[in-house]
Amino acid sequence: MPIFILRRFAVLALALLVVTFLVFLIPYIGETDPVRALARARFGRLDLDAATIEALRLELGMHRPLIVQYLDWLRSAVTGDFGNSYMSREPVVEQVWSALKVSVVLTLASLGFAFAVAVPAGSIAALRQGGSFDMATKSLSQAFVAVPEYWLAPMSILVFALYLGWLPSAGWRGPESVILPALALSLRPMGYFTQVMRASMIDVLNSPHIVAAHSRGLSVRRTLIAHGLRNALLPVITLFSVWMAGLLGGAVVIEVIFAVPGMGRLVYSAIVNGDIPVLQAGLVAIVTLAVVINTVTDLAYTVLNPVVRIDNATA
Amino acid sequence: MLANQTTVQHQLRPEVCAPVLEVEHLTVGVPGVGAIINDLNLTIRRGEVLALVGESGSGKSMTARSLMRLMPSGISILEGSVRICGEEVLSLPEDKFNEYRGARIAMLFQQPHVMLDPTCTVGAQAGEALHVHQHLTAEEEHERVVQLFRDVGIPEPEERMKCYPHQMSGGMAQRVMIAAALSADPDLLIADEPTTALDVTVQAQILQLLDRKRRERNLSILLITHDLSVVSAIADRVAVMYSGEIVEQGTTDEILHSPKHPYTQSLIHCSLLQADESGELYAIPGTPPELLSKIPGCRFRSRCQVAEKWGHPEVCSRVAPPMVEHGGPGCCARCWVGASNDIQAQAIRICQTELEGHRDGC
Repeated sequence: MPIFILRRFAVLALALLVVTFLVFLIPYIGETDPVRALARARFGRLDLDAATIEALRLELGMHRPLIVQYLDWLRSAVTGDFGNSYMSREPVVEQVWSALKVSVVLTLASLGFAFAVAVPAGSIAALRQGGSFDMATKSLSQAFVAVPEYWLAPMSILVFALYLGWLPSAGWRGPESVILPALALSLRPMGYFTQVMRASMIDVLNSPHIVAAHSRGLSVRRTLIAHGLRNALLPVITLFSVWMAGLLGGAVVIEVIFAVPGMGRLVYSAIVNGDIPVLQAGLVAIVTLAVVINTVTDLAYTVLNPVVRIDNATA
Repeated sequence: MLANQTTVQHQLRPEVCAPVLEVEHLTVGVPGVGAIINDLNLTIRRGEVLALVGESGSGKSMTARSLMRLMPSGISILEGSVRICGEEVLSLPEDKFNEYRGARIAMLFQQPHVMLDPTCTVGAQAGEALHVHQHLTAEEEHERVVQLFRDVGIPEPEERMKCYPHQMSGGMAQRVMIAAALSADPDLLIADEPTTALDVTVQAQILQLLDRKRRERNLSILLITHDLSVVSAIADRVAVMYSGEIVEQGTTDEILHSPKHPYTQSLIHCSLLQADESGELYAIPGTPPELLSKIPGCRFRSRCQVAEKWGHPEVCSRVAPPMVEHGGPGCCARCWVGASNDIQAQAIRICQTELEGHRDGC
């Protein structure tokens, strides 16, 4: 087990090294010249003479070899220093940190809700395959998957905020402002989770060890909980982690419509404004989280599925 | 009509006691389509081992699953009666029958590995029947599972209880399944090819273990197998199944040494693995009919080599033979050939009336 974890961490570190290098390269491969972007932000105009640009280039240290610049950048990045935003002149880390907190809350709220609905719904649908509950679940989950967020979000504002007046229509102040965006964000993953849960539960219910459990006198419910759930959850956990990594990187549509100051809006405006330090720090945060979530999922897998645990420890 | 008159009650051995399992006219199939198991009659007494033999697809496993009421979806019991220790169980609701599963009637399966939940320790699974039926405390349950494991020959039971199925060999996994099946002290064990997936030396150990349990607890066993050497090793009586029907039943000695039904004879011939003069191994010609198909006359007719030699092969193609006594008491077979002259005469008469009816109809 420890060997397995150590190996996972080595892979994690390598992945981060590669990704940070790619993120570092952004100013050199993008269309935006970082020097011009900074100049525009600082002086408010673009028609600057060559001497000023050159001075800025020296100031940014961009005359040095690429690898030196990368190591320098990485050293600061590790200590949490990604420089200051070209736009607000404030430290980038603080901006990313506050956006990240918002995104984490939004992601956990929406995916947690989706998971909590999908697991029982998918299981019951699988147990009563072909029944009316199954049919209802099937149509609803398909509808949830198909409905685009840019339609759902304004509609939910229209109904719950403007018509019923139950919830705030936008902004990020207090728990009640989380509900609408989280709800709007949860329907698509809920639809996918339910479909995967149903399919995998049907698979598990047809597997021989369920028949054996029944033959010992276990009721359908007991068999489902003791021998069905854990096996059937594995694919849903995988899907959950994929969605989590995706949503932490920002749900741009929802964040823009509900005026939520999350990662999506932060990165989006950094791209639009050519605010390279914010973009770099945001991407590093997103990628790090994705890699960490992947690793945690792998570890969760080994807890749920002992076959994986042993194979990896002995390999 | 003829069937009612001539069906012979299984001759009971006087020395054995009350029946544990009585199956009468059990018919299992797809409602509205047809039967997979047709009019099955079986009796197993306390402490008796009845072997159910036949080639793959003859309905042996389906019989086992039907007795446990664990048929695949779409298949249901169409008619008949199943009594366990004298109590009718087919009419019981599902939750009532759950009190029988594991406690009165338990099951062993062909591939122990896939029958165990890969995400659950074997100790937990072996203790499940105890947990459901006997309401023990966790410590008592643990204690009992340790005893059970030791009893079925699992070394270091305390350690092995914490193992997951994939960490065990096939033989050990089957021992776990036996411990799980016998934990709540059932009256009847249905063993569906319990040794087929195991290598020969382990096979012998598992059979010995089952035989010992039978003697220690007076356990009755329905042993499903296609291996006649397994039959001769532990079975008291044998029922031969072909295409969803029992075609012959009798004591192990009679069936193996003087089989009456042509199918049983062919089966034994096959199992000897003897080559004929041309150096070819014997195989029964043809294939069994589709299980759901309706066939007039004997279901083995198309592959039967005896019918041709009999004077009235048209009878075999038209009138389905009932189970009739052949030779000694307690031995019956579903075959016209070799039945008493009376019965043969009746069959020929029925066939002729039918043929005439046919002609009149045209």
